[in-house]
Amino acid sequence: MTRVMIVLSVALALGGHAVSLAQARPDFSGTWRLNVGKSGPNVAGNTPNIPFPSQIVVKQTPTDISVESTSVRQQPIAAVYKLDGSKVTVQTPAGITETGEAKLDGANLLINSRRSFSSPAGDVVVEFKEVWSLTGNVLTIQKTRTQSGDSSTEKAVYDKL
Amino acid sequence: MRITLAFAAVSLGIVLTAATVDAHHSFSATYDGNKPITLRGTIVKLGWQNPHAHIYVDVKNADGKVVTWEVESAGPATLMKQGLRKEDFVGAEVIIKGFLAKDGTPTVNASSFTLVEAKKEFVNDDKTP
Repeated sequence: MTRVMIVLSVALALGGHAVSLAQARPDFSGTWRLNVGKSGPNVAGNTPNIPFPSQIVVKQTPTDISVESTSVRQQPIAAVYKLDGSKVTVQTPAGITETGEAKLDGANLLINSRRSFSSPAGDVVVEFKEVWSLTGNVLTIQKTRTQSGDSSTEKAVYDKL
Repeated sequence: MRITLAFAAVSLGIVLTAATVDAHHSFSATYDGNKPITLRGTIVKLGWQNPHAHIYVDVKNADGKVVTWEVESAGPATLMKQGLRKEDFVGAEVIIKGFLAKDGTPTVNASSFTLVEAKKEFVNDDKTP
């Protein structure tokens, strides 16, 4: 009887551990379409305050997360981030260089990136900090843009296709 | 004679329509959504016309060279709704947040601009895609 109790306890403990692991590692895989109506007022249209892609395709493995962002009439931006937080080079359109890193933080995915390009005003550097979170088939991304000492934050909502 | 006049009127209409369409182009055709930029400078000229106001701003580069930027903003009606008047621009120092033109010229589409002395921020809420 005691043995049975021990086996059951171990099984329950392992099961609980597996559940907590599953909760701690959300899966962002899928094709996500920007929901303009549910997003902040300054994320889409003619003059967004912070640029959000209209569609994101995500493929996630236990070690990597691939993110391809596309917007209307804009060149796509893609990256395969290591989930250990190491720095990677982002594939960008000509004239733009970008590096970034990603890591899971509980139920959230954190992506930090630095984009640079030249302009008639000289070299421009923009930093983005993104916090991704999932609620069912809804992906919410909170993005902070920092440039020339000024920061602003917007939130966008994506629906899974 | 009537046919010639009618042809001339239609031609003029086509030219005017084309000019209007050209003036009200889409954001994504002209500006690079992947290149957000922040500029600080002094307003030197104002184009207060529909469908977009155009602000000309002198911006000093890191090397000290001054470049005049053309800033496309919301139309006068949108700006006036936010309490802005044409006179507010004259000689004002301004911080522009927007997106760089795709053609590499010193042209930007403003998502917002702040009049530094007045400490007032104006948002381009023309969200036509």
